[in-house]
Amino acid sequence: RVCRRLLQAWEPTGTWAWEPPPEPEINEEDPLPACTPSPQDLKELEFLTQALEKAVRVRRGITKAGERNKAPSLKSRSVVTSPGTTASTPPQSPGQAGGHASDRRPTKGLRQTTVPAKGRPERRLPSVPDRTRAGIGARAPRPGAGLRNQHMAPSAAPQAPEAFTLKEKGHLLRLPAAFRKAASQNSSLWVQLSSMQTSDSMDAAAAKTQFLQNIQTASGGSQPRLSAAEVEAEARRLRKACSLLRLRVREELSAAPMDWMQEYRCLLTLEGLQAMVGQCLQRLQELRAAVAERPPLPCPVGRPPRASPSCRGGAEPTWSPQLLVYSSTQELQTLAALKLRVAVLDQQIHLEKVLMAELLPLVSAAQPEGRSWLTLCRAAHSLLCEGGARVLTILRDEPVD
Amino acid sequence: TCALWQLLFRVLSPLPAGNALASIALEVQARLVKSALCSQGYPRLALAQLPEDGSQGSRELLLALSWLLARGPVPEQMLAQTRVPLGDEMTVCQCEALASLGPPAPHMEAEGPVDVRHVQWLMGKLRFRWRQLVSSQQEQCALLSKIHLYTRGCHCDQNLGHLSVTEAEMLRDPEGGQKLLRTLEHESRRLEAVLAWRRAEPVFWQWMDTVLGTCAPEAPAAASQPTFLPWVPECGDGELELVVRELQTLEEELREAVERRRVAWEAKARGCGRGPEWSAARRAFRETVEKELGALQRCWEQDSGPAPAHGPHRLVRREDGAAGDRDLQAAELIRTLRSQEACLEAVLRQLQGQCRQELARLAGALPGLIWIPPPGR
Repeated sequence: RVCRRLLQAWEPTGTWAWEPPPEPEINEEDPLPACTPSPQDLKELEFLTQALEKAVRVRRGITKAGERNKAPSLKSRSVVTSPGTTASTPPQSPGQAGGHASDRRPTKGLRQTTVPAKGRPERRLPSVPDRTRAGIGARAPRPGAGLRNQHMAPSAAPQAPEAFTLKEKGHLLRLPAAFRKAASQNSSLWVQLSSMQTSDSMDAAAAKTQFLQNIQTASGGSQPRLSAAEVEAEARRLRKACSLLRLRVREELSAAPMDWMQEYRCLLTLEGLQAMVGQCLQRLQELRAAVAERPPLPCPVGRPPRASPSCRGGAEPTWSPQLLVYSSTQELQTLAALKLRVAVLDQQIHLEKVLMAELLPLVSAAQPEGRSWLTLCRAAHSLLCEGGARVLTILRDEPVD
Repeated sequence: TCALWQLLFRVLSPLPAGNALASIALEVQARLVKSALCSQGYPRLALAQLPEDGSQGSRELLLALSWLLARGPVPEQMLAQTRVPLGDEMTVCQCEALASLGPPAPHMEAEGPVDVRHVQWLMGKLRFRWRQLVSSQQEQCALLSKIHLYTRGCHCDQNLGHLSVTEAEMLRDPEGGQKLLRTLEHESRRLEAVLAWRRAEPVFWQWMDTVLGTCAPEAPAAASQPTFLPWVPECGDGELELVVRELQTLEEELREAVERRRVAWEAKARGCGRGPEWSAARRAFRETVEKELGALQRCWEQDSGPAPAHGPHRLVRREDGAAGDRDLQAAELIRTLRSQEACLEAVLRQLQGQCRQELARLAGALPGLIWIPPPGR
């Protein structure tokens, strides 16, 4: 999942900036193109120009040397250097700033053939992983007059090289109207649905409960049996209880009481904990009995995310997604990292318990002689005590003969 | 009847809809439906006895469907599952994590001696994957954040303020955008359908009552039922065992400690004398302890944690981090997570310490060896 997202973010950088616009209509709708390319664009163009020149070298030859001198000087002009102009320099005879219509085609053709080469300059760009996008589909009003139009033939309007980065123009993007309409309709429907949910008509709710009861009595069972799903949920709860209890017990046992009051309190706590443990055990025994008396039957079908009540919007099902607000990249990263850390710890604890159950008996049962036993010990120690991260060293202390 | 089996299958199946589901044979679907219903506690035995070829039983199937509909908001749940995510979403609850841990694998008898080296190797792989996951996730966050930052100010919904990756992607790729639009509209149609269903619902229940009335009452026999499950191995039985054992050890330990302390305390208390302040103090202590323990108990009794609502949340970047009352704030979540982390770390350390002690005991049996622990962090 994560990887897919990353690819999504990177792809435009690689392949996009040079693809010609697919539909001419969009170009027409596209208002005034930018005439002041950003420094980013200029650098891209520089790279591209060099690449083009290399590609062109085969066909050109003589005028190239002169052109290469021209190219930097053209770029140094801070005025309206439209990208199209700059890129069209190579095939041009020197001195001509404008791109003539006739030159558009070959330039474009060249550009297209160098698409693979383009990939390289893109990669060379500095680390900023900005998404370079062609301005297709964005009805972004771009600053500047239609100076570019003067340089270009309307038919082959090369919107393509006008790759802008999200960094500069991102805030100008606008979502298409059709989408906006659909999205707002969608969200209002969700809101309706959730309000209908909470104010569930009394009739329907009563009818449902009645129906459930009727079904129950019709099948002769007065007490609904514990479903496997419920057993599982209860077991989960008790497992959590166990770890919380154990943690608390450790805390209390290891705390050194300062005075008799604390001691008393500690004692009370421990006794209370003892009672709780007893209750949990009893509940567990009950569960075990309930499970055992049923024939070895249907157990939770997988762990159906659907069947479990937990991730169903909680007590108040609000079906429209709530927001999670963050204020900086740092914060977001911390949040994600912590989430992962908690999950990993959970998994580690589970693993630890399993390993304990498997490995400790092995070690104690094995004959404490020979290398294999030492290997086993070392491995067991590493896995159980260091989470597999470090290994201890064993030295044989040979008595000196 | 076949359609009803398939519908039930679709409703009950834990897997998301896909072509894979459609290709499962009807008999298999029927069997799975039966077992799923039984595991959820469906009371009617007649269903379990239906033939699986879809030749009869439409009334029973209808009853089963109504049972499911009565128990929970099934259509809404299904919609929520297949919802089109327009924003960049992040889940807050641990449900996913739990689910991914999977049902405990069937207890496999070790074929031959446990290969510890293999286990070590696997552990190493696992740790590597964790690290990879962390770093790629961090990178994703950075990218997301950038995109949010750069597109601020252009969303039509003021509340959101910036585009999400999905929305931005739609702008970049108009074809994909069209697809998204179509899916969105499709979902809206389904939403409308569910709303219509909800409005007409009372009629349905009236009808179902009559249907139920036409059935003969069943005898509550512990009839023998189809016994296997093609998919899932066994229950939480192994799980229960583990927990029972743990609790029993804990109980033992507590019993010893409490006895010891009680005796010591009694001896000490004798010297303290009894007075009214003393009994008042005792009562006060008792109350506080009860309250504390009660809070502790609530920690696991409530099926899920407190606030963090379930399900995915849409990420929104705001300079000030302000959030409406229904929204969550990253800072608060971070706090909660940190305390969870601390708690879990404590548990893990405890377990590891136990192991250390145990191993030391076992290894100490053999003299003539020096055990050098690895350099600690």
